[in-house]
Amino acid sequence: MTLRTPHFPDQLFDATAQLRAWESALLNLLLDNAYREVRPSLVLREPMAQSALRFFDQDELVGLRWDYTESLARLFASRFPEPPPRVAYAGPVFRKSSAPWEAVERTEVGCERIQEAHQDPDDADQELALLLLAVPKTLGLKRCLLHLGDAALWKGPLEAEKIEGPSAAAATRALHRRAPHRVKEALEGHPAADRIATHAALLAAEPDGLAGLTALEGSPYTDLIAPQVQRLAERFKALLPLAPSGVELRLDLADVSGLDFYTGSTLRLWAEGATADLAAGGRYDGLYPELGKPWRAAGFCVRLSTLLDLRSSRPGLFTEAP
Amino acid sequence: MTLLIALPKGRLGDEAFARLRGTPYELDVAALKGRALQVPTATPGVEALLLKGADLPRYVAGGVAALGVVGSDTLDEEDADLLELADLGFGACRLSLCAKAGVSLDALRAKAHLRLATKFTAATSAWLESQDLAAELVPLQSSVELAPLLGLADAIVDLVQTGTTLQAHGLVELAVLARTSARLVAGRGAYLGDPARLGPLSRALTDALRA
Repeated sequence: MTLRTPHFPDQLFDATAQLRAWESALLNLLLDNAYREVRPSLVLREPMAQSALRFFDQDELVGLRWDYTESLARLFASRFPEPPPRVAYAGPVFRKSSAPWEAVERTEVGCERIQEAHQDPDDADQELALLLLAVPKTLGLKRCLLHLGDAALWKGPLEAEKIEGPSAAAATRALHRRAPHRVKEALEGHPAADRIATHAALLAAEPDGLAGLTALEGSPYTDLIAPQVQRLAERFKALLPLAPSGVELRLDLADVSGLDFYTGSTLRLWAEGATADLAAGGRYDGLYPELGKPWRAAGFCVRLSTLLDLRSSRPGLFTEAP
Repeated sequence: MTLLIALPKGRLGDEAFARLRGTPYELDVAALKGRALQVPTATPGVEALLLKGADLPRYVAGGVAALGVVGSDTLDEEDADLLELADLGFGACRLSLCAKAGVSLDALRAKAHLRLATKFTAATSAWLESQDLAAELVPLQSSVELAPLLGLADAIVDLVQTGTTLQAHGLVELAVLARTSARLVAGRGAYLGDPARLGPLSRALTDALRA
């Protein structure tokens, strides 16, 4: 039986005012930090992800923007000889959801930090983390958690063991579920199954401070991941004193969502009562080279639709609407 | 705010209730006898929500219940975005391909039009793909053992615990697709957004249920 739920929610007066207020406040925050707004077309004519909403315009297959990052990357890679360093965006995206109750149309605000290959990515990662630390206050969100991670902590060992294709996908899905016992099942018969499962169990520990990184000394891949561990520890230590009141900083070493896209640092904002993350992002150095440009990039997006749901279910988490 | 733990009704739930007896999460016996679906536990502010197994992942993923106990077979079928925090070990079964005695796996492989009856269509499809096999799936909700006996299907994929039911119907196991057991699950947002409450509770529940 097909379930028809309101996939394309109409936002009425109060919700519209709240979305507009959040959008303006976040864009101002980004513009104040030298990010410049770009609005790529809502209609896509290039190859699209399976999750994109597609339809025929007469005999031409077109789709609706499903993700800002990719739309912007295609735009910049085709039109710019040099990367625009700081870019902001705001507006709707349309994505077929995996859960039937999730809306297809969602409003997002975000930013991208694009660099030449020779520029220091750590500076950009730090800049983005600092910006995301300022987001909760901008939204009037009183309490939340910012999780920092690094996709390479998992990707590196998988690549070193030459685990790829369906096996890598199954093992990653298991770690995404925080189920190291499933990682071993997924790699059954592979000579590195025990090693990878041991590593996964350490990554899947409850998100915390530096203790999780210290525990990685027991990983079979300690030497391989040492640079990422050191970089993450330094970033955490540098950000900890800068975290504003109400924002708890944690390391989440098992953040492997979007692993086929992210290549390094990851960021994710959570709050009690939210069924999904409120903001997410990270480093994705593979996208621009795929489009023919030797650039590297990172960014994050704030999911205003999720925030709107949270504000409705947990109004006490927010200050009065701006 | 009351924290809800979703527990399955039926055999797996009965075993979970028994394991929780004498722990801080023991279910209120009087409420259980009264057929209530939301049952207090011995810990104030923590209540159990009694649900049909197939519905349970949705309640947890939707943020209604913070934690839940569910069979890994159900979890794989529903494919909800949940964290699977622990393999609790109990309720262990095999998800197996079974056919009438005398029918071999090779004979099934050789069939031009293979029909498999099952409640576990996702797991069966994945196994067929891994075996490079094609089959017509006949979705059934219960009494699956009847399907090969009455000619509705050539074989079945079903949970086998002791094998007694299979034997009673003259069926035999030909292949084990997966080993299943009870798992402690959490809503991704609930667990990652409120670790101060959910972390200690999930550890305590794991200890209580694994005992």
